[in-house]
Amino acid sequence: MSMELANFPYLSAILLSCVVGLLVILFIPREREALVKGVSLVFSGIALALSIYLYCAYDRTIGGLQFVEKLLWVEPLGIHYFNGADGFNLPLILLTGIVHFTGVLTMWELRGRVKEFFAFAFVLVLGVFGFFMSMDLFFLFVWYDVSLFPMYPLIAIWGTTRKEYGALKLFLYLLAGSALVLPGILYLAVASGLHTFDIVALMQPGALTPGQQRFAFVLFYLGFGILAGVWPFHTWSPVGHVAAPTSVSMIHAGVLMKVGAFGILRVAIFLCPIGWEFWAPVMAVLATIGIVYGIFVGLRQTDLKYVVAFSSVSHMGIVGLGLSTVTAEGLNGAVFQMFAHGIMTALLFSSLGYIYDKTHTKLIPDLGGMSRVMPVASGYFIVAALAGMGVPGFASFWAEVTVFISALKVYPALGVLAICALVLSALYMLRVVQRTFYGQGNERYAHLRDVSFSLGLPRMILVAVMVLFGLFPRLMLDLIQTAVIPFMGGLPR
Amino acid sequence: MKWLIFGPEIYFLAVAAVFLILSMTRPNRRRDFSAALFLASLGVAVTLATIRLEGSLFHGAYRIDLFSQLFKGLLSVGFFLVVCLCSSLSGIHEARHSEFYLLLATCTLGMMLLVSSLELLTMYVALELASYSLYALVPLRSGGGQQMEAGIKYFLSGIATSALMLFGLASLFAATQTTLISELILKLPALLNTPMAFIGLLLTLCGFFFKLALFPFHIWAPSVYQGAANQVTAFVATATKVTAMAMLVRLVSMGNGNTSLAHVLIALAIVSMTYGNLVALVQKDFKRLLAYSAIAHAGYSLIGILSMNPTGYAAAVFYALAYLAMTFTCFWVVVKIASDGRDVPIVQLAGLHRRSPLLAMALMVGVFSLGGIPPTIGFTGKFLVFNAAMERGYFLLVLIAMINVVVSLYYYIQVVKAAFLLAPDEELPPIHLSAPATILTVVMVVVIVVGGIWPSHLFELARAAVQALL
Repeated sequence: MSMELANFPYLSAILLSCVVGLLVILFIPREREALVKGVSLVFSGIALALSIYLYCAYDRTIGGLQFVEKLLWVEPLGIHYFNGADGFNLPLILLTGIVHFTGVLTMWELRGRVKEFFAFAFVLVLGVFGFFMSMDLFFLFVWYDVSLFPMYPLIAIWGTTRKEYGALKLFLYLLAGSALVLPGILYLAVASGLHTFDIVALMQPGALTPGQQRFAFVLFYLGFGILAGVWPFHTWSPVGHVAAPTSVSMIHAGVLMKVGAFGILRVAIFLCPIGWEFWAPVMAVLATIGIVYGIFVGLRQTDLKYVVAFSSVSHMGIVGLGLSTVTAEGLNGAVFQMFAHGIMTALLFSSLGYIYDKTHTKLIPDLGGMSRVMPVASGYFIVAALAGMGVPGFASFWAEVTVFISALKVYPALGVLAICALVLSALYMLRVVQRTFYGQGNERYAHLRDVSFSLGLPRMILVAVMVLFGLFPRLMLDLIQTAVIPFMGGLPR
Repeated sequence: MKWLIFGPEIYFLAVAAVFLILSMTRPNRRRDFSAALFLASLGVAVTLATIRLEGSLFHGAYRIDLFSQLFKGLLSVGFFLVVCLCSSLSGIHEARHSEFYLLLATCTLGMMLLVSSLELLTMYVALELASYSLYALVPLRSGGGQQMEAGIKYFLSGIATSALMLFGLASLFAATQTTLISELILKLPALLNTPMAFIGLLLTLCGFFFKLALFPFHIWAPSVYQGAANQVTAFVATATKVTAMAMLVRLVSMGNGNTSLAHVLIALAIVSMTYGNLVALVQKDFKRLLAYSAIAHAGYSLIGILSMNPTGYAAAVFYALAYLAMTFTCFWVVVKIASDGRDVPIVQLAGLHRRSPLLAMALMVGVFSLGGIPPTIGFTGKFLVFNAAMERGYFLLVLIAMINVVVSLYYYIQVVKAAFLLAPDEELPPIHLSAPATILTVVMVVVIVVGGIWPSHLFELARAAVQALL
């Protein structure tokens, strides 16, 4: 079998739209900034359209891997160019499409080195798309690193608070993760005796002994866990979020952290299910610590971006908790939470970005009464904050409910602890909203203009997506279920 | 017709003769460069034309096969690329330009003889021809005084290792009663348990460890990299490394999976990677940083060789090829920035993205490739090497190597940061690249990226070459 192509390679077309976008930008003279932005918008729009199409066209009655593209790449090593879409990665491909498209719109007012910014952003998104759709460990790793290295220039050049420190810390932490993942991948290929990097082939029951699975699981869990912001390896993430420019924060918190969580799912859990069951209690404890820790550290912050960044740590803890339950509902909720949190955080950073661009501060005590000055811009932030608290009507509500129901069944004590912490965080978030957007206004900002329709567009899209999946959660839960049920059914018990 | 297979060697001898004659005439910078460029590009053509030839000369002491011809091809490409760097050659006094090209040609000739020699004494003579050319090339730089220090360091440590190597060759001969590698391959595996044969093989390897700048034979590297003219450093950093990797593959493959030998090599690889990367962290000069990074890379390439399986040797050959491309790209940027032939401290890379966006991009690609970030040829090389080691079950070695890779990224990212981020103290003029220079820059970037994305053909070539060897 050398070649197996679907009638049209939609998945590769998404990658290609990023590559072509990148190449076109490279050939535009650097002074033509508007053209660069336009080209970025067009090609990110194509990628978004394709990912929406895939999401809708996926046949839920059949399930399994669809839109498969498989080419033999390096024969002696068993490397394939192997892409496929299933219920696990389709939500995340859609998420990436949405966040990149809205990210480009959010950065519409960027000045200074515009060409390089959008070029690096395309490389980053290319890596993320590739990572989500790849079914070959070699390519998975390649995409993983491709998505990481543009983060350094993106944060270090266009970032804000302590940007060089944040960029370097992020870069080295995330690549340290890859130092565990690469030996793990090679170990799987060799230890299984199959000498292939094909995930589907390595998934066969019996390919790896229980001992090997327990060992390899640790490598992948730690390696990808760093990127997923698993406590205690999260320390790069708040610093990096805060330092990054708005759209990079959006992609970073919205999508890149999901790369880590998805890596745990696709590699660690898929290939080492016995290791998963063995280490699940440890995962659950770390995830719960992450939830509680993120909330308590967030309580002490006065910088709005730090507040959002630490809430990301705790929300990613919810994903981890869902994954650690080893139940169908837990997996389903975890994947849905990846999507919901991605959209929600993107909205938080996006609306925060507008306020910061105008006021040049993100310190809560300096702001205040912003809802009178810029009611619409404040509205977006408040909506996102409400979604973050798990208010019904938004996608994250369903995701969190699903995770917590399964967590309460499997780990009652940890589940109760996490829910109590979340209630506390809701109270706190309300106080942040109150102090920033209501109460005594700051005279200095009274003259500022509210967000215009065109600049508000990306935020509108994000709100619409959150509400859509909040009102009709089965649009997504059913899709994820098509992947979860066969996977859980195939587990060796 | 039998001598046709000896074509590349004869050709480079003729090139040397041409420059010998030119060196007796009045110095002329333009003429020397044009002649060198023409002869070098013709040399690439001549060598590549013989790549599929096979045969044996001098009663089996000299063999032409895909392995040797592939490396001769790489050497001729390396020679051509280094000549491309010499368009201004301001680091060397104009009167000595012909001698510079002459020594470059004899050095290339020596290394070409080396990769084909299948007899210990031939090997030694070829190695010394290459070495003595380099001993003369290193102090050729004009001005300063550090080139003399570099030259003396290189010479003294070089002849000391030669002595070790001779001792090793003698021991090998004493143990096996032969100097022909074809006979050694048969006799050596059984004898490697005896101290004489084992030490003999190890000391023989030392001669090439020295060229590869593997710890503990690295002491010359930082001084020579910094002290020699940029073009000479580029040659030392690319062509000689490639040859050393080839010879190590050839010699270690004689050991035929001996575990004690593997253990010694593992220790050397680990120490070399760790030492090179840790010391590189504090370097301020870009060429010196590349020297320490070369010590680390010596360790990575050794991982492929010490795996002692066909995949490992093929991975090492691929790595040699990748190393040539990415190191040259870095030196290309150095030479273009230092048009007056001076050294380049890392802080002087500041503002490069404005002075020449293309060079800044080439530097980033080259440096990230050295750091092993996909999709570059450097990543693929590392992946292949680590894969081979994993097949032998060296999990810890791979893990240590990967940790080293992460450490090394710290100093590579400092270079990228300087080129893209830092504002220069004083506004420097833009760097204008001529049309051929622009093309070469783009070609190097494309080679690094495409070699990383589509390694299939190159890897097949490396495997076929190793097949010819075994």
